[in-house]
Amino acid sequence: MASVTLKHLTKVFKNVVAVNDLNLEIKDKEFLVLVGPSGCGKTTALRMIAGLEEVTSGEIYIGDRLVNDVQPKDRDIAMVFQNYALYPHMTVYDNMAFALRMRKFPKAEIQRRVHEAAKLLGLEGLLDRKPKQLSGGQRQRVALGRAIVREPQVFLMDEPLSNLDAKLRVQTRAELIKLQRRLAVTTIYVTHDQVEAMTMGDRIAVIKDGVLQQVDTPLNIYHYPANMFVAGFIGTPPMNFLDVTLKRSGDDYYVDGGDFKLLLPKFAADKVQPWVDKQVVFGVRPEDIFDKALAPMTTAHDGNTLRAMVDVIEPMGAVVTVYLTLGTHQLVATIDADTKAKEGEELEIVLDMDKTHLFDRETQKAIY
Amino acid sequence: MIRRAVVNLCLFLFALSVIVPLLWVLMTAFKTGHEIFTSPWGLPHTPQWENFVRAWEEAGIARYFLNSLIVTLATLAILLPIGAMAAYVFARYPFRGAKWLFGAFLGGMMFPLFLTIVPLFFLLARLGMLDTLHGLTLVYVAYSLPFTVFVLTGFFQTLPQEMLEAALIDGCGHARAFWKVMLPLAKPGIIVVGVFNAIGLWNEYPLALVIMTSDERRTLPLGIANLLMVEQYQSDWGALFAGLVIVMLPVLLVYWLFRDRIHETMIAGALKG
Repeated sequence: MASVTLKHLTKVFKNVVAVNDLNLEIKDKEFLVLVGPSGCGKTTALRMIAGLEEVTSGEIYIGDRLVNDVQPKDRDIAMVFQNYALYPHMTVYDNMAFALRMRKFPKAEIQRRVHEAAKLLGLEGLLDRKPKQLSGGQRQRVALGRAIVREPQVFLMDEPLSNLDAKLRVQTRAELIKLQRRLAVTTIYVTHDQVEAMTMGDRIAVIKDGVLQQVDTPLNIYHYPANMFVAGFIGTPPMNFLDVTLKRSGDDYYVDGGDFKLLLPKFAADKVQPWVDKQVVFGVRPEDIFDKALAPMTTAHDGNTLRAMVDVIEPMGAVVTVYLTLGTHQLVATIDADTKAKEGEELEIVLDMDKTHLFDRETQKAIY
Repeated sequence: MIRRAVVNLCLFLFALSVIVPLLWVLMTAFKTGHEIFTSPWGLPHTPQWENFVRAWEEAGIARYFLNSLIVTLATLAILLPIGAMAAYVFARYPFRGAKWLFGAFLGGMMFPLFLTIVPLFFLLARLGMLDTLHGLTLVYVAYSLPFTVFVLTGFFQTLPQEMLEAALIDGCGHARAFWKVMLPLAKPGIIVVGVFNAIGLWNEYPLALVIMTSDERRTLPLGIANLLMVEQYQSDWGALFAGLVIVMLPVLLVYWLFRDRIHETMIAGALKG
C-alpha cells in the first residue's frame, strides 16, 4: 500500500499541452477519481503514473520512491483498461496468472491467488474459458481479477465501466466500491461520467484542458464548487447560470437580473462586498428550485420567489424537469412530481438561497 | 439476376481453367505411356501405381523431395522469427530512419531477381556456400524477407496497443511482451505468410538452378525439369506426370490445411480482440 504524489506533472505532445502543472496527493488506501470531459488530459495523467507515457516535466512518487524513470513493470501498479485488454490467446486462469508467472511466483502461490480472486469475483466456473467466450461483464471482472491477484501498491483504472450497458454499469459500480473498500488498495480511477465520480470517489479531482480545477470530497465539490466549470460539470441537469448585477441596499445584498431581484444569504455578505455594482454570474442548481405551492423547507418571501413561464415539462417519475423562461433568462428546475405546473402557464418558484452560488464573470471563480 | 448469372458463369469458367489441367495431370499420372497418346482424355485403363514408384526411386524424386523439404523448412525456421521481429519494430517503435529502412525492404520486393543472380553466384562461391543446402537456405531467407516484413508489419499494426501496455504493466520487458503476447496474437498472420512463402519456395526455380550445381543436391523444381529432359528421350511420360503430382501434393495439402486461416486473414486483416 502506498500514496501517490504528483508534483508539477506536465505532458506536452508536439505543441499540445495535455497535462499542465498537475499537483496532487493521493493518500494511502484512498479512492481518487479523475474526472473531466473527453480530451481533458485525465487519461494522459493516469498513463504517466502507469509509466506508459513519458513525463515532459514534473515528478511522480509512489510511496517515497520517485518513479519517473522506472519501467511500468517495476512500479508495482496494476491497471484496468477501458477495453479490458485481456490476452485473447490465454484462458481466464492464464490471463490472471500471467503477471505472477512473469514475476516468478511459486506455482502453489499463483494457484492460491488466482482461485481467491476468482472466488471474490464469481469467476470460478469460467477459469478454463477464453476471453471471447465471455460476456462483457465477465471480461470486465477478469480484467479486475488480473489486477487483484497482483496485490499491487496502486490500482489504476481507465474508464473500466464504460463498455458495459447501463444496468450492468450501476451494478458493477457498487461491486467495485465494495471491492476497493475491502482490499484497501490506493486506487486512481479515470472517468468522464460525473455520476461515477460522485458515487465512487473518496475524493474527486476535476480536470479541464489539462489543468486541475478542484480536488475535494464529492459532497464538497457539489456544494462548494471552486468555479463555474466544476459547478456546471458536476450535477445533472447542470447548474443554472444567470448573468446579473450585484446590488447593495443597507445591509442586504441583491442580485439584479433586470426581470428579477433575489436577496443573497446573510453569510455571503462579507465575501460579495467587493463586487457591488459589478456584473457577476448567479448559479442555482435545478434541485434547489421549488414549486412555491409545494416548497418544503424554505419559507417564501419577496427575496427568493419568482414568477416564470413554463416552456416544457419532462416527467421523470418521482420528479419532473421543468424548463422555464424568466424574461431573457432560461432556467431548468427539477421539482416534485405533484406540481400543478402546466406548459405555457406561469409558475411561482422559490429558490433555496442558502444553496446558491455567485461567480466572478471574468475569472469564473466562485465568490461564495 | 442476369448480372449474378454472368458473374457465376465467369467464376465457373475460371475454376474450370484451374481444375481441369490439375485433374488431367492427376489422371495422366496413372496411365501407361501408350495410353497417354491413344486416349489422352479417357480414364486410365488400370491405374499404373508403378509410375510413382519409378518417379520416386529411379528418377530420384525422393532425394529432390527431401532437399526441397530441408531447404523450405530451414528457411521458414529462420525467416519467420527474424521477419516477425523486424516487422514488429517497424509497426510499434517509430525510430529515426524507420521509413527509409522500410522503404529499403519494399525495394527488395521490387528489385528484379535476375539482376542479383551473377553477383550472388560469386558471393556464395567466395563464402564456399555454392552448391550447399545451407547456402541456398541463406539466399532464400534474404529473398523472402521483404515480403514477410511487409505483410507482418501491416498485421502487427492492427493489433491493439493496449495488449502491449497490459503486458508491460504485467511484468514483461519489451522483448518478453513480444514473445509472450504480441507474437502469439500475430499467429494468424504468421501462418499466412509462412504458407505463402512455403509455396513460393517449394516452386522456386531460377535461384536454385544457379546455386545448386550437383545432381544430388537439386531441389524438386530442378529435379522435375531434369526429369522432363530425361523422360523425353526415354518416353516415360507416366513417370514424369507422377513426379508432377508428387510436387503438387504438398502445396495442395498445406493450402487445404490452412485454408480457413488464409481466408480469414485475407478478408479484412480482421482480428478478433
